[in-house]
Amino acid sequence: MLKTDRQVLLESKPESIRSLYDKYAGTLLGYIFEIVKDSKLAEECLVHIFCELSAAFGAENARGPQNWSQLQRFARGRLEAFPGVSGKISAGVLAHNSYDQHLSALSQEQKKVFLDIYYHGKGLAKLAAELNKTEEFIRKTLKEAFAILRKSGEN
Amino acid sequence: MVKINEYIESGVLEAYVLGSASEQETKELLYLKAKHPQISEALKDLETDIEYIAQKMAVTPPPGTWLKIESNINEIIKARESDALTIDMPYQDRPRESSRTRKSSQFVEIEAESGHMRIRKIWRWIFAGVFLLGKIFLACAIYFYIENRHNEKEIELLKTEIKNITANGR
Repeated sequence: MLKTDRQVLLESKPESIRSLYDKYAGTLLGYIFEIVKDSKLAEECLVHIFCELSAAFGAENARGPQNWSQLQRFARGRLEAFPGVSGKISAGVLAHNSYDQHLSALSQEQKKVFLDIYYHGKGLAKLAAELNKTEEFIRKTLKEAFAILRKSGEN
Repeated sequence: MVKINEYIESGVLEAYVLGSASEQETKELLYLKAKHPQISEALKDLETDIEYIAQKMAVTPPPGTWLKIESNINEIIKARESDALTIDMPYQDRPRESSRTRKSSQFVEIEAESGHMRIRKIWRWIFAGVFLLGKIFLACAIYFYIENRHNEKEIELLKTEIKNITANGR
């Protein structure tokens, strides 16, 4: 039987979201800030996303995001609908200064593929068409980017 | 085994972790993940990697952010609870409302802050009548006051004349 909104909300009391907040609030705020480049707006988005999380927790019998990857995907979905942010995501307005130092080991192509997918949420097909490459090439490039970032992290 | 390694190396897992895998790819991945522990393991590693990368760019939230979230969540819960209680309960189970409350809930309050007062139409005519009568009485009072002063002056004048006549007669 489908649960009502009330049941879902009651099951996801603030306490249950608190641990997720403690673990990922800073990471999520950093992610949002890279997109919106405005501290106040980024904080508003953070509050909005955690409120949305409380409403969506338990939907379809899922327990909500369990790790950063799931939380980031959830957040990006909500950011796309947030006033003043959606344009920035789709237009790809990203100042490349703050994360340049973290992604310095990547080539320009790898960086573009990684950032366009991670921050702009571009699909493989769309990106492949944009860069005039095959989807397979984009997948490979993304894989390489991951491998380099992992290696630089280990070092 | 070779095919699984090929699949892991294809970059689909990376695309899935960043949320750019297609629906078909996601379905296939979730199916294979449940079937092959290597894929599940590789996926877990990638999730750890992206979390590590994201943590490098973390920004500490300003103090009080959690309180904002908590109060917003509590408000949503309260609002939804009260809505659900009214809608979910069968009519006979609902608490008895006083006639006043029931009556007020039947109307939509418009311009509650307005300084205007609504009265019955009959009172409009009564007020107009009282106003008109007031004006007539006021006009009469002014007329009689002026008339009275005029008469008093004439009496005063006559008295003076009588006094003069009496004085001349002597």
